[in-house]
Amino acid sequence: MSFAFRLMFRDIRSGDLLTLLLALVISVSTVTSIGLFVDRLQLSFEKESANLLAADRLIRSDDVISPEWEQKAKELSLQTAQRTSFTTMMFADNSLQLSQLSAVTDSYPLRGAYLIDDKLFGTGRRSVETPKQGEVWISSRLASLLNVKLGDQVEVGDQPLTVTQFLVRDPGSSASAFAISPRAVMNMADLAATNVIIPGSRVRYSLLLAGDRASLDEYEDWITPQLNESQRWRTPTQRGERIGDTIGRAESFLLLAGTLAVVMSGVAMALASSRFVKRHLMQVAILKTLGATPKQLGRLFFLQLFLLFVAGAAIGLGIGWGIQEIIASLLSGLMSTALPEPSIGRLWLGVATGFISMVAFCLPLMSHLIKISPLSVLQPNAKIEFNSFAIYAIGFVGMFGLMCLYTNGFLLPSIMTVAILGIALLVGAIGWLAFKLGRSLTSGATSGWQIGLASLYRRLVPNLFQLLVFTLIIMLTLILTGVRSNLIADWQQQLPEDAPNHYLFNVQANQIDPINAQTSKLGVKASAWYPMVRGRVTEVNNESVQSLYPEERNEPELYERELNLTWSDTLGEGNELVEGDFSAPGLSVEQEAAKEANLSLGDELTINIGGNLVTLPITSIRTVDWGSMQPNFYLILPKSALEDYPANFVSSMFISDREAQSFYRAMAQYPTVSILNVGDILRQIQAIIGQLSKAIQLVLFCILSAGALVLLASVRSTLQERLEEGALLRVLGARAALVRQALLVEFGALGFFAGLIAAIGAETCLFGLQVFVFNTEASFHPLLWLLGPAIGVLVITTIGVFASRTVLKVPPMLLLRGL
Amino acid sequence: MDRNTAIKVSNLTHTVTSNTGDLTILKGINMEIKESESVAIVGSSGSGKSTLLGLLAGLDVNTSGDIFLYDQEFSNQSEEERALARGQYVGFVFQSFHLLPSLQAIENVMLPAELKGDKEARKKAEVLLDKVGLSHRLTHYPNQLSGGEQQRVAIARAFASNPKVLFADEPTGNLDEENGKLIIKLLFDLNQSQGTTLVMVTHDNELAKMCDRQLVMSAGQLTEKAL
Ligand SMILES: Nc1ncnc2c1ncn2[C@@H]1O[C@H](COP(=O)(O)OP(=O)(O)OP(=O)(O)O)[C@@H](O)[C@H]1O
Ligand SMILES: [Mg+2]
Repeated sequence: MSFAFRLMFRDIRSGDLLTLLLALVISVSTVTSIGLFVDRLQLSFEKESANLLAADRLIRSDDVISPEWEQKAKELSLQTAQRTSFTTMMFADNSLQLSQLSAVTDSYPLRGAYLIDDKLFGTGRRSVETPKQGEVWISSRLASLLNVKLGDQVEVGDQPLTVTQFLVRDPGSSASAFAISPRAVMNMADLAATNVIIPGSRVRYSLLLAGDRASLDEYEDWITPQLNESQRWRTPTQRGERIGDTIGRAESFLLLAGTLAVVMSGVAMALASSRFVKRHLMQVAILKTLGATPKQLGRLFFLQLFLLFVAGAAIGLGIGWGIQEIIASLLSGLMSTALPEPSIGRLWLGVATGFISMVAFCLPLMSHLIKISPLSVLQPNAKIEFNSFAIYAIGFVGMFGLMCLYTNGFLLPSIMTVAILGIALLVGAIGWLAFKLGRSLTSGATSGWQIGLASLYRRLVPNLFQLLVFTLIIMLTLILTGVRSNLIADWQQQLPEDAPNHYLFNVQANQIDPINAQTSKLGVKASAWYPMVRGRVTEVNNESVQSLYPEERNEPELYERELNLTWSDTLGEGNELVEGDFSAPGLSVEQEAAKEANLSLGDELTINIGGNLVTLPITSIRTVDWGSMQPNFYLILPKSALEDYPANFVSSMFISDREAQSFYRAMAQYPTVSILNVGDILRQIQAIIGQLSKAIQLVLFCILSAGALVLLASVRSTLQERLEEGALLRVLGARAALVRQALLVEFGALGFFAGLIAAIGAETCLFGLQVFVFNTEASFHPLLWLLGPAIGVLVITTIGVFASRTVLKVPPMLLLRGL
Repeated sequence: MDRNTAIKVSNLTHTVTSNTGDLTILKGINMEIKESESVAIVGSSGSGKSTLLGLLAGLDVNTSGDIFLYDQEFSNQSEEERALARGQYVGFVFQSFHLLPSLQAIENVMLPAELKGDKEARKKAEVLLDKVGLSHRLTHYPNQLSGGEQQRVAIARAFASNPKVLFADEPTGNLDEENGKLIIKLLFDLNQSQGTTLVMVTHDNELAKMCDRQLVMSAGQLTEKAL
C-alpha cells in the first residue's frame, strides 16, 4: 500500500501521472461546466417562455375544469390559477362590441406579467396584479371602439364593471395566435353574475400550474391518462410552436456541443493514457525482474488509477463548477432575468464521464502493461506489440455509451459514430497516400521539405493517428461553427426586424381597398390578402372520416376541426411546392398535415362548406413556413370552388410602435375588423433568440478551448521523437532554420490534410444534422472548405512549433542526455 | 613535431544545476590535442568524460575557461554559429548510434554533406558506406539494421563531412567483440587515410592502448597517462 503511494508520488514528480490527471480534470470539468450551464440555460429559457404561457404548465379544456384537478395540484404544492376565455358582447353607454374576454383568478398570472397603462394606446408598465372584483381592463382598441375612458362603466352580460386600466398585453395571450381581439380581462369572482356563460357557449377553460419540475412531472404523469380529446397539456417549450422550435434547436445544439466535449475529453484521455503506458513499460519490466507478480502490479495500478480518479473527479468538478459560474456571471449582464441556480443532480454527468473514459481507455492499456515480459529490460529497443484494435474498441464502446447517456438517445451518437468511422477511414486512406507520395517524390535531406516529409512517412502509424485526432478536432470546430451560424442565421431569417406583427381578420371584400389606402398612407405594407371560408373535411376517397377514425383521439388535425380555407393562384410567401402542380384545379395540402392524415396526390377529399359538399382531388403538396408570420393554410382550393361563398379576408403587416397609435385610430372606422397584435410575442422571441445566440457563442468558445488543449496534448505525445530528431540534426551542424523548416513542413502537412478531411467530414455531418436533427434545410458551406485547411495549417503549425521550440533553444547535449 | 593544434583547453570548469544543488563536473581542465592525433579519454563512470567530450564538440557551453577548436571559440558563439562550426569541423559517434530513424541509411550519411550544400553528397555517401561494408544496405532504415551495422552507418555519417576532428563516445560500448573490432578498425583506418583527429571516450583498454595518447579523467580532473 505505502509502496503504491510512493510509486505514485514518484510518478507525479516525473510528470507522467500529472498528464493523465490533467486529461481527467479537463474531461470532467468540460462536461461538468457545459452540463451545468446547459441546465441553467434550459431552466432560464423555460422560465422565459413560461411568461408566454403565464404558467409553467397549462391544461386547456373545452369543459369546466374538475375541482379535483386543482386539488391534486395543491397537494403537490403547485401554484394554481384559472382562466376562462370566451367571446361576448360588451356594452357601453351607446355602443356595443364583440370582444374576447378572459376572467381570471387573483393568482393569475403565475409567470410573466400584464402590461397596463393609464393612457389610451400607451406603451404600458408591468403588473402582476389582476383586475379586482368589479373592475375590467380593456385594450385601447376596444376602448376606442366602445368610446369609453378610465372610470367609465361597461356591461358584460348582467354585470356592470368599471374600466380601471387599458390593457397593453395579456401574458397568456400567445396561447392562440388566432384568438380574436379586441380583448379585455376581468376578475373570476364577477363571472357568475354576468350570466353570459350558458350551456353551449364556446368557452375555453384553462388551469395554470407553476412549481418545481419534479412536482410538475409527477402531476403530468397523473393527469395525462385523464385528459379527453378536447383537453390539452401544454408546456412552454412545446414543439410545433415557434418558440418551442427555437428553444428545441438550441437545446439540440448545446447537447451536441456537450457530446462533442465528451468525445474530445475521451481523445485526451486516450492520448494521456497511452503516453503513460509507453513511459511505464520499462518500470513494469524492471519491477518484474525484481520479483513483482502480475497480481501485485495489478493491485498497484488499480489503486493508482482509483486514487487518480478520485483526485481528478474532485478537481474537475470544482473547476467545472467554477467555469460555469464564470460563464453565467458573464452572461448575466446580457440576460434579462437572472439565471436559475443549476441543479446539483447534474454533477453526476461529469463524474460518470471521468469514470467511463478512465475505464474505457486506461484499464485495457494498464492490463496490457501488466502483461509485459520482463525480458524487455534486456532488449530496450524491442517493440512491445499491443493489440491496439481491441483497446480502441473498448474505448469506443465506452465513448458511445457516454454519448448515449448524455443525449438520452441513440440518434445523435449514431450519426456521430458513423461520421467518425468514416473520417477514420478517410484519414487512413488520404494520409497514407499523401505521406507515401510525399516520401517517394523527395529523397535526401537537403531541405526541411525532404526531412519533414521523410519523418511523416517514417512514423506513418502514429502520424496517421495524430492526423485523425487533428482532423476530428478541426471537424468538431467546423461543425459547431457551421451549426451555430446556421442556427443564428435561420432564426434571424425567420424573424427579421420587420416580420409582420399584426394580423387583420374579418375584413370584407369592399373594405380591402380603403384599408390598403389607409395603411399605405402610414407607410405600412400589407401582405397579400387571403379570402377565408370555413369548412370541414368529412370524407376521404368517399369514406367518411368518422368511419376511418372511430376514435376521435386519433383523428389527424386536418379532420379534427373546422379549417380556414382559401383560394389562391400563386404560391404564397413561405410556401414551397413539393409535389404535383399548384395551378391544377384541385386541392393543395400542406405536407405535414398530409403526412399525418396519410394522404398523397390523387386522393379525393370531400369538404363541407356551409352545408354544401365539395369533392376535389389532391393535385399538389406544399410546405409552409409557419414562422413567416404570413397567413398560412392547410388547404388551398381552386378559386372556382370557393368564389360563390361569402369570404372574410385576412392579411398580416408590420407596424412599428411609432405608427401603432395612428394605425389603431384609423382602424376604429372599421369596428368589425379584428386586429391581433403579436408584436410582444415577437419581441420576446427575439430577446430569447438574442440570448441563445450569445450563450451558444460562449459554449462554443469553451469547447474550442478544450479542443486546443487536446491538440496540445496530442502534439506533446509525439514530441519526444521530434525533439530527438531535431537535436540530432543540430549535432550534425544543421542550422536552426532548417530544423524549424522541417518541423513546419511536418506540422503544416498534418494540419493541411487534417483541415481538408475535416472539411469533407464537417460538410457531411452538417448535412446529416440539418436534415435529421435540426429539421432545417440542408445547405452547402463553401467557407468550411477554406476555413478547414487554413485553421489546420495555422493552428497546428503554431502549436507544434511552439511546443517544439526547446529543440531550437536547449543545447543538443541536454536533449541527447534525456534519451 | 610542428603539427597544428586542433584543440586547446584552458582552465575549463563546468557546473550544472540539479535538484540537489550545483554540481561541478569538470574542475579546471587544461589540455592540448594536435592535428591528426588519436586520443583516448578513460576514467571511471561518472567522472565527466562524456561531459567533456560534449563541450569539446560544442554540443553545450562550458561555465568558465576557454575551449578552442581550431579558430573556433565555442564559449563566445551563439548556438547558430556553433551549429555551423560543428557541421564544418566536427564528426560525432555515439554509444547508442543516434541515427535519424526516418531516414534511410544512405540519407543519414548524406546528411552532413547536404547540410553544407554539397552536390556530390550521394556519391560520397555511397563511397563511405561501401568503405564500412554496407553498400548492399543503402536504402534500409535504421530499425532494419543490427546494432553493429547502425554503428557503421553512424561512422560513415561522422566522416561524411570530412571533419577535422572526430569525437566518439564509447563507440563500441553497445557492440559485441567482433563488431567492436570492426568498428575500431574503421575508425583508425579513416583517421589515418584522412588525417582526422580522433578523440574518443572508452572503457576498453585495448582500444585505449591503440591511441597515441591516453588521458585519465578522475573526479573532474584530467591527467596524462604515462606510457
Ligand atoms: N545536466 C546534468 N544535470 C545533472 N547532472 C549531470 C548533468 N550532466 C552530467 N551530470 C553528472 O555529471 C557526472 C558526469 O557525467 P558524464 O556523463 O560526463 O560521466 P561519464 O564519465 O561519461 O560516465 P560514464 O562512463 O558512465 O558514461 C555524472 O555524475 C552525471 O550524473
Ligand atoms: Mg559517458
